[in-house]
Amino acid sequence: MHDIAAEAVNFIDLNVMSIIFLFIVGFIGGLVSGFIGSGGAFVLTPGMMSLGVPGTVAVASNMCHKFPKAMVGAYKRWKYGQVDIKLGLVMAASAGLGVQVGIKIQQWILDKWGQAGSNLYVSLSFVIILVIVGGYVFRDAMKSSKTGGKDVVTALAKRLQKIYLPPMMHFKTADVKISMWFTIPIGFATGLLAATIAVGGFIGVPGMIYVLGASGLVSSATELVIAFVMGFAGSVKWAMHGMVDIRLTLIILAGSLLGVQLGAIGTTYVKDHMIKIVMGSIMLIVAVSRGLAIPEYLKDLGLISVGPTTLKWLSAASFITMCIALGVGAVIILGSMWRAKRAEIAKEAEAALEESYGKI
Amino acid sequence: MVRRNSKEEPKQRQGSPNPGDPGTAHRVNGPATDAGTAPESLSQNGQAIPAADAAGARLQPGENRKILVAGLQETFTAAAVDYAINLAERLGYEIIGLSVNPELTPSGGFLTPYKRHLREEFAKRVNAASTGLKQKVAAKGLRFEHRVGFGDLGKAIEDVNHQIKRIEFVITDAKIDADEVTGAVSLPVFSIKGSQGERIMAEHLSRSTRPIGKTIAFGVAAAALYAAVFTNSDTVMHYFTKGGWFAALPIATVFAFSFVHGAFANYLWAALGIEAPKKVVQPRPEAKRPVRRQRPRPELRLNA
Repeated sequence: MHDIAAEAVNFIDLNVMSIIFLFIVGFIGGLVSGFIGSGGAFVLTPGMMSLGVPGTVAVASNMCHKFPKAMVGAYKRWKYGQVDIKLGLVMAASAGLGVQVGIKIQQWILDKWGQAGSNLYVSLSFVIILVIVGGYVFRDAMKSSKTGGKDVVTALAKRLQKIYLPPMMHFKTADVKISMWFTIPIGFATGLLAATIAVGGFIGVPGMIYVLGASGLVSSATELVIAFVMGFAGSVKWAMHGMVDIRLTLIILAGSLLGVQLGAIGTTYVKDHMIKIVMGSIMLIVAVSRGLAIPEYLKDLGLISVGPTTLKWLSAASFITMCIALGVGAVIILGSMWRAKRAEIAKEAEAALEESYGKI
Repeated sequence: MVRRNSKEEPKQRQGSPNPGDPGTAHRVNGPATDAGTAPESLSQNGQAIPAADAAGARLQPGENRKILVAGLQETFTAAAVDYAINLAERLGYEIIGLSVNPELTPSGGFLTPYKRHLREEFAKRVNAASTGLKQKVAAKGLRFEHRVGFGDLGKAIEDVNHQIKRIEFVITDAKIDADEVTGAVSLPVFSIKGSQGERIMAEHLSRSTRPIGKTIAFGVAAAALYAAVFTNSDTVMHYFTKGGWFAALPIATVFAFSFVHGAFANYLWAALGIEAPKKVVQPRPEAKRPVRRQRPRPELRLNA
């Protein structure tokens, strides 16, 4: 990739509008990822590209903002006792493997079907995985919110936890004892997805919840550790090629560090199923967004014929839907925080009243 | 401020009235009470009598039942004093005041001369403060005695309870949490808060300070870092995109920014009052316990 670096990469001139856009998207992306462990990248990368940033620079700058954000979020949530560091590191190590394999698959598809084929593959994996996993997460969240937000360990996780296949691993914070051989595939799939669609958390968090049997809170917090490790490794790689536009990174970071902490605080206000609701909603809306992008790639491959105006509209609709996904997540998080805070204030006032009349 | 010192416990058990002992109460002023009378009254006829009787009919002449008003200052809150005086007047009880200073305890079993001096000073202040109180109580025709104690409040109360008999219950003022005392004391303890309660609550709320100073400090530092990068953006971009070992520059930069700006963000939310509501401990699923089986029990049956 050194040849790319040798080329004169166009780093854009920043104006006030683009700075404000990046800051706000950074903030909302941070808020969502502080809450569900990942997010933001799927809007930021296309968003930066629409500002005229070259694709590689957008990916590199985005990744370089992702790992410090994940670090700050992980630290904050570790203080709340939600992070299972051991699980995070095991997952991150296997995810690293997944990324390598994912890149190989991408290259193979690129060689065989060209750029359009690669884009179609990415979009199709997006839609298929997000619809299946997101649909399941959303349905489960709705089910548990009806039963008062009680979190239950899935039958699959219970069955896997019972299988004795050494080496067994005990994850204390997640309170899970499971064979290493069931943990690695989840991490591997996370890495594979991260290499394909750049948001590994969409498979990592549901994997930890439904396959390993960790709670939504612990899974989303642990995902931040994975994001940190992978983001760090990726950023070093991109920075060595000179692809990181530090200005973009720092502007996004300005918003996202504020957001990620607010999101992390938000997790302490809500019940476990809220994380699943936010995650499921975002995944489903993002799936719609990516679905809208598919006709363009099909046309590039010569499979269908679509007019250029339609394509323009579809691409705009796709990007707007993506922003809506993030916006919906942010609204749900802030709304549930607001409700919880109001309830807490009411409770405090009641306690204060009781206190002032004495305990007797 | 550690009030309960486990090292001091053996001394306390001996019940030594030595003023040097922590938690020991000693009289400052007021009439002497005969600490030895009560146990004798219990065995006057050579036999133990039920406590209820002892508290009722067999009161020694000149000895009255008492209310102990305890506090951690030289004076007590008006609410506690008023309540105690009213109650004592109605019931015909005496009032004992007990001011406990929790800090002047011996360190390593030794009371330094300076601390001894401070204790005397404290006793003097209590003496001075109690004159007004004494007059107030005397106006109602009640007897009042003010004592001082050092160390743990509960132990001090218990000591006074041993020395002076017939203390019926304890009234603490609003500044003391009733739970602090009840564990060590074998008397009923009532906390009088009244209008004082609200004041204490207000103090408590204002005490949860918001880190405005830190927010400003880190905000300025973060702004300075941003200004440094963006005013020299041409130079920065030149070196940061060189690749190779220059990769350390953007990585180190984002770390530095995330520490400073992250700290600013942390304090900013705290300053705005947005904080985690409680100590969050991940709820763990309950461990499965073996089901308790109902065993057949032998039954007594009558076949008639």
